[in-house]
Amino acid sequence: MNPLLAQFLAEAADLLSQVDEGLLQLERDPSDPELVNEVFRAAHTFKGSSGLFDFPELTRLTHAAEDLLDAVRSGKLSLDSGMTDDLLAAFDLIRGWLAYVTTHERLPATAGPAGQSLIVKLRGPLGGEQATVNPSAATVPAGPVIDRAPDWLSLFDEEWLEKSATWLSSTSATMRFIRFTPDQGCFFRAEDPLHLVSQVPALAQLDLIQPFEWPPPEEYDEYACLIGFVLATRAARGELDYLFRYVPDQIEIVELNGDAIRRHLTGEEPPEPRADESAVAAAAQSQAENLELARDAYAILTAAQRSLTFGESLTGVRLSAVARSVAAAAAALGVPVETADPDAETLNAQLTSLLTEARPTPDETPPPPPPVERAAPVDRGRADDPGGQVGTRILKVDQEKVDHLMELVGELNVAKNGLTFLADAAEEEFGSRVLSRRIKDQYSGLHRIAEELQAAVMDVRMLPLSVAFSRFPRLIRDLSRRLGKTVELVTEGEDTMADKDVIEALGDPLVHLVRNSLDHGIETSADRQAAGKAPAARITLTAVADGDAVIVEIADDGRGIDPDKVKRKAYEKGLISEEELETLTDSDAVDLVFRPGFSTADQVSDLSGRGVGMDAVRASVEKLGGAVTMRSQLGRGTSTRLRLPLSMAVTQVMVVSVAGQRFGIPVDLVVETVRVPSGELGRVLHQDVVVLRGEVVPVIDLARALDMPWTADPAADRAILIVSMHGQRVGLLVEQFHREVDVILKPMEGLLAYADEFSGTALLGDGLVLLVLNMKEVLSLAARAQ
Amino acid sequence: MTDNRPKVLVVDDAATVRLYHRTLLDEAGFEVAEAANGLEAVEAALSTAFDLFVVDVNMPKMNGYTCVETLRSETVGTPAPVLMISTEDRPGDADRAYAAGANLYLVKPVNAERLARVARMLTAGVAA
Amino acid sequence: MPLELNETTATLSDVVTVDEVEPLVAWLRTTIKPKVNLRRCNHLHTGALQALLLFQPRITSSPTDAFLATQVLPLLRGSSGGPVLPESEPP
Repeated sequence: MNPLLAQFLAEAADLLSQVDEGLLQLERDPSDPELVNEVFRAAHTFKGSSGLFDFPELTRLTHAAEDLLDAVRSGKLSLDSGMTDDLLAAFDLIRGWLAYVTTHERLPATAGPAGQSLIVKLRGPLGGEQATVNPSAATVPAGPVIDRAPDWLSLFDEEWLEKSATWLSSTSATMRFIRFTPDQGCFFRAEDPLHLVSQVPALAQLDLIQPFEWPPPEEYDEYACLIGFVLATRAARGELDYLFRYVPDQIEIVELNGDAIRRHLTGEEPPEPRADESAVAAAAQSQAENLELARDAYAILTAAQRSLTFGESLTGVRLSAVARSVAAAAAALGVPVETADPDAETLNAQLTSLLTEARPTPDETPPPPPPVERAAPVDRGRADDPGGQVGTRILKVDQEKVDHLMELVGELNVAKNGLTFLADAAEEEFGSRVLSRRIKDQYSGLHRIAEELQAAVMDVRMLPLSVAFSRFPRLIRDLSRRLGKTVELVTEGEDTMADKDVIEALGDPLVHLVRNSLDHGIETSADRQAAGKAPAARITLTAVADGDAVIVEIADDGRGIDPDKVKRKAYEKGLISEEELETLTDSDAVDLVFRPGFSTADQVSDLSGRGVGMDAVRASVEKLGGAVTMRSQLGRGTSTRLRLPLSMAVTQVMVVSVAGQRFGIPVDLVVETVRVPSGELGRVLHQDVVVLRGEVVPVIDLARALDMPWTADPAADRAILIVSMHGQRVGLLVEQFHREVDVILKPMEGLLAYADEFSGTALLGDGLVLLVLNMKEVLSLAARAQ
Repeated sequence: MTDNRPKVLVVDDAATVRLYHRTLLDEAGFEVAEAANGLEAVEAALSTAFDLFVVDVNMPKMNGYTCVETLRSETVGTPAPVLMISTEDRPGDADRAYAAGANLYLVKPVNAERLARVARMLTAGVAA
Repeated sequence: MPLELNETTATLSDVVTVDEVEPLVAWLRTTIKPKVNLRRCNHLHTGALQALLLFQPRITSSPTDAFLATQVLPLLRGSSGGPVLPESEPP
């Protein structure tokens, strides 16, 4: 892809999210001038960049949105939710177009009509008011470009054309000539072409396009439009584009000066270089270039003269700046002037004489280069330019590159871990303690560098939580409208950083929880008022960093969860026993909603439904190595707390082995490792237990849970790994403990993808693949195996 | 490595527009530096002597007019030519630019050849 | 009442919309030597203008509306009896 287009797409993504976010905030606080300004600016910047490409529909639509925002900014309009809807829809459409551009490098064929209908909506609140800015400014090159006189110029009154040509030549002015050919059925669309014509500002001349042959009166269909118009006006192109915005296919606008009209009148062809006469063509081109150069120099001189009129006391830097530009323009014109040590008066005199001399002949300029040329020469951006990049110190890097870097760091870690195996081998197999020592020294040096490198790469991968939160203003707005509830969203701590994988993985559970809140937690305004609450409900999304973890909380002030109802429901579904129904505390009851099978069809609604319950939320969070807890107060609200590791890229695992096979267990879960004589293992209700500091801890035989052939040596001490799950301690009987290692966890693939007892695989330093256990599944396997 | 080419500072908040201008001006024989708003431009101008400025009008933090005024003020005091480029073509905009101290006001998107031509013309005295 | 139809004279006033086009055309079809008074007319629907162009009634009194008077009336006068301009095709 053309790098300029790639840059535009990258920039557009940022700008569009700024616009979206700003609009939603603005809807809540329409009076914040800074907010309006921000949204306007983002839209404006976007439009400016889009003008560099041949995407006229895109520029037109953005322009309409920009105009509406400008009216809001200037206080002419106040933003209502209808306008916000239209603006959001416009930017959604644009987002869709850009996705298409990303793959096809052009706009979809439907862009025209789709954009047009939104433009009509966006222009609606602006009423019939004339465009104050030139809508085509982004696509029309600077300075009027003189078109070739079209044949339809002959429809104008010839005498009038003569007069106008003379007048235009003597003032070196131009006029816009329009051919307006309405289609036959236009009356049925409530169009009235003559009415439109009557709106044309500064109309100089109007003439008719009549049918070649009028039908006989008896066959005349009064509802078929048979006539058209040609008109000439001094109105700006932008005004005309705006006026005829609904019928762009029915009009043709040309810009003509006196000479162009005269050539039409005399039937003379404009000089055009012919391809087979290259020398002539080249000469013509160089002449054209000289003419252009003269024109630009003239423009600079005119600007200088203009500058001198602002404040007579133009002195110092400003005066020498003007003098320099005058000297440069004069040199370009081949009439160098002495401008050293200038004063305003001398300069003004020089300017006056230069301007009289240098006046360029009002000749026809060559046609503007096609738009492709504007975007073509972009392949040679100077990335190596040492003087460049004063402003942009932020580098945008493709996500894949960072991922690749992370993989390399992982491999470095693995290779580094290999050294410890080598050190062991040096000592055990070759009996060299010294060599083992030296390898370990090397290892620790490498370890430090690898750790720093890893931290640096991890830091690059960190994103603010605002990325995960950004979709909620829109989601909540749309859903609350559909549900007829009034909800205010408060986000806190969106600057908290977490690894991009964590942020990405957080998306779905968060959406589910927020939808749940909106759907079940939050009451209608009427219900709230009846309960003595504020009519507008509040959902709070909070993120805080907590050591190596990030805590995200979704809280609402809705109706809360009724623990008795939950217990009854859980009992009816057979999830809890009758005894539990009586004894479960309220907070344990709330936790029941996470039980698989608790939320079922009768709860599935249009919004939070899709047959996924809170158990799925807990499962997906736990798969990330996190935890979910919920607290609720009946009538006051519910808050759900997700605790996630700040980074998932590197996981510390404790390696254990059973039946000669090694397994990893996330270190976060490990409480301690103990060795107890076999005799100290007890048995309570068919469950092995060990008593640790007075606490009875159930012990699970890992080999049995995983269905592996291994029986502990009856004479040897038992190696038990104590893990903590949902605040409960469980012992795992293993064959042997090994060291802790940092691994890059890869998701399970292929045949093992459905083996829930493993959360992923990792490569060890000695090249072996380590299976990392999903403790929750292992425990439930063990429970079934009992 | 020293670069004898004239130095131009491209000031625009749109990265795409900066890239466009950078490419054009690089081809036209300039050493190009970028700034994303008026404030950055002023900072850059304080540490580097630029031979030309190409400045957008509508920018956050410091807009183009204020930026040009500051470039011409005693704070920076550069007499180097300034081209202002804007999407707006309203009456009075050009005069505002000239009052601020710009040397030429052009409307976006500027024809590539024209930008190169004007830039070269205004910096013709600088050794290339 | 934008359209008043008498035996030989039609008086068009205020804004003549598309709704007036059909009765106007019906009247023009059946009236011999029709005359049209545009003095108090402020706007003429394109369909009405077209009908006036085809049936070429005599315009008895100029409109006071500036646009109609300066731009539209000359078209009606110019077309009566004058050569009909061919419809042009783009080159």
